[in-house]
Amino acid sequence: MRYLVRRLGFFVLTLWAALTLNFFIPRLMPGSPVDALRTRTHNRLSQDALEQLLASFGFKPNANLLQQYLDYLGDMFTGHWGVSIGASLGQPITQIIAQALPWTVGLVGVATVIAFVLGTLIGAVAGWRRGGVLDSILPTVFVITSALPYFWVALLLILFFSVWTGGWLPHDFNYDSTIVPGWTPEFIGSVLVHAILPAATIIVTAVGGWILTMRNNMIATLSEDYVRMARAKGLSDWKIMTGYAARNAILPNLSGFAMSLGFVVSGAILVEYVFNYPGLGYLLYNAVQNTDYPLMQVLFLLFTAAVLVAVLICDFAIVALDPRARATS
Amino acid sequence: MALATVGLLLSACSGGGTSSTSSSTEDTTGPTGVPSGNHEKGGQVTIVNVAGQTWSCQFNPFNPAVFQQSQGFVYEPLVFVNILNDQAETPLLASSYTWSPDGKSVEFTIRDGVKWSDGQPMTAKDVEFTFNLLKKTPALDTYALWTGAGLQSVTAAGNKVTMQFAAPAKVYFFNFANQVPIVPEHVWSTGEAAAHPDTWADDKPVGTGAFTVNNCNPNNIEYTANPTYWQPGKPYIQTVEYPAYLDNGPANLDLATGKGQWGSQFIPNIKAFYLDKSPDNHTWSPPVTSVTLYPNLDPSHAATSKLEVRQAIAMALDRSKIALVGEGGQEPAANQSGVVTPTFDKFFDSAAVASAGYDKPNTDKAKELLAKAGYGPDHPLDLSVITVTGYTDWDASLAVVKQQLAAVGINLTVQDLAQQTYDDKLYTGDFDLAYYAPPGGPTPYYEMRLNLYSKNSAPIGQPASSNYSRYSNPEVDALLDKYPVVDGDAQVQIVKQIGDAMMRDVPVIPVTEMVDWFQYNTKDISGWPTEHNPYAQPAAFNIPDVGIVLSSIWSKSAQG
Amino acid sequence: MSIVTATVTAETVAVPARRRGGFWHSLARNPKAVVGVVIFLLFTVMAVWPGLFTSVSDPNALEFMPSEQPSGDHLLGTTALGQDIWAQLVFGARQSLVIAVVAGGCATVLSVLVGVTAAYLGGIVDDILSLLTNAILVIPAFPLIIIFAKYAGQGGLPVILAVLVFTGWSYGANQLRAQALSLRSRDFLEAARVRGERRSYIILAEVLPNLASLIVANFLGAALYSVLTAAGLQFLGLGDPNSVSWGTMLYWSQNQQALQTGMPLWSIAPGLCVALLGASFALVNYAFDEISSPALRPVRRHRVRRSRQRTDRG
Repeated sequence: MRYLVRRLGFFVLTLWAALTLNFFIPRLMPGSPVDALRTRTHNRLSQDALEQLLASFGFKPNANLLQQYLDYLGDMFTGHWGVSIGASLGQPITQIIAQALPWTVGLVGVATVIAFVLGTLIGAVAGWRRGGVLDSILPTVFVITSALPYFWVALLLILFFSVWTGGWLPHDFNYDSTIVPGWTPEFIGSVLVHAILPAATIIVTAVGGWILTMRNNMIATLSEDYVRMARAKGLSDWKIMTGYAARNAILPNLSGFAMSLGFVVSGAILVEYVFNYPGLGYLLYNAVQNTDYPLMQVLFLLFTAAVLVAVLICDFAIVALDPRARATS
Repeated sequence: MALATVGLLLSACSGGGTSSTSSSTEDTTGPTGVPSGNHEKGGQVTIVNVAGQTWSCQFNPFNPAVFQQSQGFVYEPLVFVNILNDQAETPLLASSYTWSPDGKSVEFTIRDGVKWSDGQPMTAKDVEFTFNLLKKTPALDTYALWTGAGLQSVTAAGNKVTMQFAAPAKVYFFNFANQVPIVPEHVWSTGEAAAHPDTWADDKPVGTGAFTVNNCNPNNIEYTANPTYWQPGKPYIQTVEYPAYLDNGPANLDLATGKGQWGSQFIPNIKAFYLDKSPDNHTWSPPVTSVTLYPNLDPSHAATSKLEVRQAIAMALDRSKIALVGEGGQEPAANQSGVVTPTFDKFFDSAAVASAGYDKPNTDKAKELLAKAGYGPDHPLDLSVITVTGYTDWDASLAVVKQQLAAVGINLTVQDLAQQTYDDKLYTGDFDLAYYAPPGGPTPYYEMRLNLYSKNSAPIGQPASSNYSRYSNPEVDALLDKYPVVDGDAQVQIVKQIGDAMMRDVPVIPVTEMVDWFQYNTKDISGWPTEHNPYAQPAAFNIPDVGIVLSSIWSKSAQG
Repeated sequence: MSIVTATVTAETVAVPARRRGGFWHSLARNPKAVVGVVIFLLFTVMAVWPGLFTSVSDPNALEFMPSEQPSGDHLLGTTALGQDIWAQLVFGARQSLVIAVVAGGCATVLSVLVGVTAAYLGGIVDDILSLLTNAILVIPAFPLIIIFAKYAGQGGLPVILAVLVFTGWSYGANQLRAQALSLRSRDFLEAARVRGERRSYIILAEVLPNLASLIVANFLGAALYSVLTAAGLQFLGLGDPNSVSWGTMLYWSQNQQALQTGMPLWSIAPGLCVALLGASFALVNYAFDEISSPALRPVRRHRVRRSRQRTDRG
């Protein structure tokens, strides 16, 4: 119980720290939305007109800093996220995020889960079946794939499967723009086809890490006494592998998995950029380019909160699953 | 103090082509060139213009973030002024107009029989309402009509609207007649629109234009023809698709494959990538303003404030090579008089440019000039130039500039800055040299006024509105002041005289000419503006020209 | 971003000091380590003596015909602006290595400082440092980096290094703290304390050497992270586009649409170099793990009937 309280306390403190950081960073850096808007309007509006335009969109840079900070904290928690003052000037942020969120969660989330499941399974089997050619090349191969840069893998996939095949697989956007969104097979098919290459990029680069950690954990677990005992008792291999070894081997991975899930929301910015996938990561990139403070701050809040929530849930889960954790608080 | 600067909307990272291989059949055209043949209705066109983000599905014609998707398509101005055809005018919502003899007031006759897309009739009262809306909410007055241009009143009587200015205002005609979208009073005087006209989303826009918004989602806007459009028989094209492209890559690919027929961005290696893919692929990119090196004339910058140094730079540059390598040959070279050719040939004095020695690069003369200024191999000149990160064609051009200046003994450092930092430095004069392209206008006067008028300047450390090099010459100021009050030929003379001052004082150094990027596919669509018939600015991001083009093109397959 | 997780839990990494001599020997015999080190050395030679690999002296100079295909003169062809791609590749090694070593090194130093201090001093200091570490750990690094890099205005090398260090140290600090904590209760440290040694001596002379392999592993991880992230930043255009580096090459090739306009090598080659450098760090890192924990090494079985029973010895 005390353990959980401590974790909760950590969660709150970290969230506060991240929020405060989030508030100050844009304000400490040079550049302002007024300048960004001036550029977008090609220097035709006067300073007053620009400031007025932004003020009508809720951006009041001249208010007292402490007041702004308190307003900011309040707004973040009550969901008053305001409107964008960047390239989508005037569009409510909740709307912008609602449009992009499902795509990121869909693409990156599903790909991460697939990578984890696939990686864990392969890793478990690899840890179990020692010896032979596979065992010596497998770690090397996956060590290398986990060190590959995302965007390079993306570029290669685009080259092989899109450019050289004359467009067999699409390499940009989330669906064919000429199809009106709706629950039609045409639309769903288009969405799936457009997700193949980006998802493949994520899976290829992420799976290696899971395989290796699972394999190593399996190996460590297999040397434990209780596994030997289970074998001595004559339990079947399958039972040992699933009931004893894998179950314990997976525990350290869970917190890593939780972190990855949390990081899903930050959307693999590079992947979205290369594939022009309009998700949250791409949104952040644009928001930064256009000094869109409100949008930047909300996105940052979401990203941080997602990771924290994931870590917290994972902590609770480990406490529930692993009696040892309960004991060592 | 912002002047009523002309609003030509030019996309930042651009490149263009000067070749035109169009051989499409053209309609009968009037003096303005706008095609007026009779065609069957039907067909669809897809626009490929990189927006950089997904659509917000707002169509407020006063919101700079979204008005390129609403003006022209749905909203129209009073008179269309074409900068490419020596300011040829096509009356739109105003069927005619007359200026008072002193040039301080103009009376428009509003066209009869025009309907809003919701069925209500459009009247002079709507025009009066629109301009007064700009007065009430200054954030909407993009062109500073009520403040900078001296607009005093706009009143409607019957079917006529009279605008009264404090001073001769013909020079602002381009702004108020061509660029202010007329909005319906009955929609904008109630509810959210009336309370907050600057932030109102206007997601179902009601206008007089040839198209209405049929469907909008973040990835695509679909416009369909307005059945009650006031031009009989038009528009011919019935559907316009406007996908949201986040980046040039996929956009260029769609153009190359023919999925989109109307392109408006820089395509690198355009011949291999686009033109060679199909005989129906064409490009023509007319230049509209100059991409210019702004030297800092303030005495605090010892080198660039010396005339000889600036002359040396202007002499050393091989502009054709810069245009070839930096812009892939898709932008023409600029010239030191600052007049954009061939668009403004009427104002261009090529003899003067030749006799001043600026018609071709002269590295020997440049070295001489530098020596006179006290710089040489034992006292090298180090200069830096600021540009914006992300404008890769400008980076490429500056790389060539760097090499050419190195040949005469100037070490140039190129500084890529984030947009905001760049703007800051540009406006406050914190640079040796800056690379920038000002917005253009219907004649060279507009660009020259932005660059050279001393009132547009400011002391170092304070933001200047457009005269970033801090040039001040009372003679040039007088010429710029005289231009609005004289007519035609006298204006041409004034521009030529200002061009002479450009070559004498070298306040800024034009390098290449910024173009309207334009790619078009003639497989099914005909009636595009071309080099031979530039009836409108061809890039899809120009407003209201986009509406003119859309209502003039027709589909070959829809013809019987 | 792929998370490079530690491949073994902290407990099994502890290596008693006396095995250090045998450690380097085993490293030399491990094929993964050898490959990794060779690649790294190759890039180092390229960075220090580029003249050995190419005759071009200024890779950014626009000296050649643009957009040429690979040929004898230009091993990888030329860019759309007329620069030799191979020359850029060779000179670009320098910046990537500097980033890897400097950013990786500084991040590791910071990790050690924070992690060991927190573990050893305990109490309120530990709580504060842990909070700081965990807070920075959960903040999404890449978005933060983008924001920093964008706003620093120029995206030059010092800025990139600073943001990499700021975001890269927290993971290692946690690991080192955990390891240092487990060491705290060990007998030899108790002995030192009882002997009356000063705290600083204990930390420097007793604790650190035992953490040595973990520190090296951290350095390799941080170096890998720095190389990949810096390349990503430059690819997005947040670096200095006029610098010579692999990430910048990727930025230009992407902007000029190298893949679609028939110049794929311009994009693929610099990416491959980044991948190779990263892989070299990862390989050496993994080799370390294998050596520290022999159970992980590949099992060589010669003519032994494969039975379902496995032993756990390597």
